[in-house]
Amino acid sequence: MTSRLMFRVLGALVAFALLARIPVGFDVGFKFDAALAVIWAFGLLSLVLLTGYVGQISLCQATFAGVGAYTAGMMVSSVHVDYLVAVIAGVVVAFALGVIVGLPALRLRGITLAIVTLGIALVFDRYIFQDHAFEWFTGGTGGWRVGQATMFGLRMDSSTHLMAAYLVLLALFCLVALLLVNLHESGAGRRFRAIRDSELAAATMGVNLTRYKLLAFGMSAAIAGMGGSFYPLVAGSVSPQPFWLFTSLQFAAIAVLMGVRYVPAAALGGAFMAFVPDVLTRYGHGTFMGHAYEISYDWFQIAVGVLLIVQLIALPDGVWGDLRSRVRHARSAAGAVGGRRVKVA
Amino acid sequence: MAAFAAYTIIGLSLGGIFSLAALGIVLIYRTTGVLNFAHGAMGMFSTFIAWQVFYGWSHPFWPGWLSTFLAVLAGLIFAAGMGLFLEFAVFRWVRSREPVVKAVITIGVLLALQSAASLIWKNNQYHLPIYLAPQQWVWVVPVADVPIGANSIAIIVVALGLAFGLGAFLRYTSFGRAMRAVSDSPTSASLWGVPVGKVGAVSWMLGSLVAALAAILITPFINFDTTSLTLLIIDALAAALIGGLVSLPLTVLGGFILGLLETYPTIWIQSIGFPRLVALVVILAVLIVRNPRGFSVAAK
Repeated sequence: MTSRLMFRVLGALVAFALLARIPVGFDVGFKFDAALAVIWAFGLLSLVLLTGYVGQISLCQATFAGVGAYTAGMMVSSVHVDYLVAVIAGVVVAFALGVIVGLPALRLRGITLAIVTLGIALVFDRYIFQDHAFEWFTGGTGGWRVGQATMFGLRMDSSTHLMAAYLVLLALFCLVALLLVNLHESGAGRRFRAIRDSELAAATMGVNLTRYKLLAFGMSAAIAGMGGSFYPLVAGSVSPQPFWLFTSLQFAAIAVLMGVRYVPAAALGGAFMAFVPDVLTRYGHGTFMGHAYEISYDWFQIAVGVLLIVQLIALPDGVWGDLRSRVRHARSAAGAVGGRRVKVA
Repeated sequence: MAAFAAYTIIGLSLGGIFSLAALGIVLIYRTTGVLNFAHGAMGMFSTFIAWQVFYGWSHPFWPGWLSTFLAVLAGLIFAAGMGLFLEFAVFRWVRSREPVVKAVITIGVLLALQSAASLIWKNNQYHLPIYLAPQQWVWVVPVADVPIGANSIAIIVVALGLAFGLGAFLRYTSFGRAMRAVSDSPTSASLWGVPVGKVGAVSWMLGSLVAALAAILITPFINFDTTSLTLLIIDALAAALIGGLVSLPLTVLGGFILGLLETYPTIWIQSIGFPRLVALVVILAVLIVRNPRGFSVAAK
């Protein structure tokens, strides 16, 4: 077990080292995408915990991220705290909201939980994030502007220090991902998976359903909120648009598409969600056979929808899950062949 | 008093809208076991087809009723085709899967339809809705002097008519019985000789038609753009849950109740988002307190 843990820590470090170098040569737009990719990956990671481990469906993960973003923005713009404090505040508020959202989940499962979380996402999208009754929280129509933020005493803001923000985000993501991978086999992780497989059986075996379901929702919301609370730092301001209902739906769709049970799939999905639309809109125009064409952002969402449908029909375990099982099959087939050769010799 | 009566009228026509949207959801859920999150988006897309025919392609010399008729016809034909396409291309292949998987597939449908519409028709708000009845036809209630448009009455009448018509169709015709049998258990229904594939196709076609009809009737009353019709899904789901995802008349009643509940607070609170909160509270109340009957399938 300890050697396995060492292996995983090493894996996380190598992943961090590799990913940290990638955006160095990018222009500002792609550097922003890289930071955004980690933020979205946090949102997808929160679904890995909630749906992949605990089996609870949620269509309001972007709401948690948004609450984290607005809390952090409010803390920095109005109280002028260190950004680290703002992030902690964002995570705490998101955790609290997650526990509250988890309350109805104690009685609900499956589709009905999807309906309720969809309603919550819509209420936050249309009411809390956009209504002037909540201007103290959302900073009015302009949102909170985060010009000069510091973290650990270092200057970090969107215009000049994007890479620093990206590195902090990435380090945190690797840490949380490592924790989640280890959670899978831990006592709490086994209880979570017992709830996923059968709530009744889990309760019979003495799993405290109330505690572990609320914990799962709170932790999941905290993970999404952690990503979201970096949004003001990366983008320079907060607005309702990135955290609206359709982002929540995209989170659910992309998490399932990439493989909702696997932690690395979240990183893959985050990169997909941040880079693909930007690459499409940036390079997707010109002339083809005499006709001018332009690929807009809408094509990305169409692709997500269609890919999700195809994936659910053809590859139920998601892109990452399918790749993983293929690699394992190939490896065991190779092993079998090798074994036979030894026998012959 | 007059204000109260006016708000009641607004609430009732809003309720008619919710009922219409919810009827299709209940219909599809009862006959195919799919909770269709894309219902609003399907209606929206068909409505934009009708809108395109009405404002884009109809000839200015045609009489108004002819363009309206052709537009609605085009929208409905498109809707039927879309329902068939979804059944054959998508839902036929996932019939034996869990309800949650099917619901997530409809989210994929929602995303694709929503973006396809905003790709074609952009994110503008269109202020040219399709009026089935002329806008000038207004009827004034003698007691409270409140004007009621013919379009509001049309919505309420169509909602009630569809609820009882579809209910009777499902209950008394042999094809309706076949549809209910397939929804209960496709395997045993096919053992009894029910043409399962045909039933699925008709269910989706019918559900899509109801979605299109609802959305076309709704256009005079809401900000007619690509998202607002899609997002109507949450109010429709609330109404459908009041009906327990099973009962069509109760769904219509639920729609009217929700419409009134969402309208009365606007006397005091001016907010676009507040009605969504009302819908969410209704959903939570119904789900937690009452535990609807349709749940036996939904909770799996």
